Amino acid sequence: MAEARKSMIKFKPKKFKVGDTIKVDFIVIHPMDTGLKKDKKTGQIKPAHYIDSITFSLDGKPFTTMKVWETVSTNPYFSVNLKVPGKGKITVDYTDNTGEKNSKSKKLKPKG
Amino acid sequence: MKRRNFLKSICAVSAVAVVTSPSVLLAKDATKAKKKGPNDLTYDAAVAAITGGKAITDSDKVKLTVPEIAENGAVVPVKVNVESPMTEADYVKAIHVLNTKNGNARCVDVMLTPMNSKGYFATRVKLGGTQDVVALVEMSDGSFLRAAKPVKVTIGGCG
Repeated sequence: MAEARKSMIKFKPKKFKVGDTIKVDFIVIHPMDTGLKKDKKTGQIKPAHYIDSITFSLDGKPFTTMKVWETVSTNPYFSVNLKVPGKGKITVDYTDNTGEKNSKSKKLKPKG
Repeated sequence: MKRRNFLKSICAVSAVAVVTSPSVLLAKDATKAKKKGPNDLTYDAAVAAITGGKAITDSDKVKLTVPEIAENGAVVPVKVNVESPMTEADYVKAIHVLNTKNGNARCVDVMLTPMNSKGYFATRVKLGGTQDVVALVEMSDGSFLRAAKPVKVTIGGCG
């Protein structure tokens, strides 16, 4: 089940300095099926398929963890704040209820 | 005489059908209502599970931003801002986003740390119908704060 999912990490604002508080946005392409909807093609009820945990970490040190349920929208978007301590690497690890594990990372490059 | 009997029997059958059809429909409705998601939880049960019976206070410190009217219940943006110094001694420990009427009342639990420097969280949730969105915030001293806002949903998004 380890198909690569499209995901994206964004920093807002794009330019920031050390000590600034920035938004870290994480978006992933995921169906987030509730287990209630029917598949229009087959008429079968789609089994539940949703992300159940997300960890945001900076250089391997987790700073935000989330527990997620199927009530979150399709192609979910999560946004948290982070105070930039310096250069580093943001990694987001996420796990499915089916056991599918993925991660995405982006470098933090503060200017000035 | 045979034809008369035949007509009579048809009448009887159709009458029975008419009488039974509403009950059949009712039974169908019942099965529809029973349709359950994988981890259904009522709002009260969810709150009890989070707080463990502790008191919750409604607070102005928690700012919940949701649209008043959501045209599409499948995508409802939710933003939570909590006033807090976010130091090691006093910070927002967790933000729970809940709803009051979906099959599963829990949406997201976010565990924050002082590294976040602001008690902020944003996401998008599905709402099955017009209901309240609740932000339940756990502070580092163990107290619980709450903010709730109603959202009108014109098209439900929980299939």
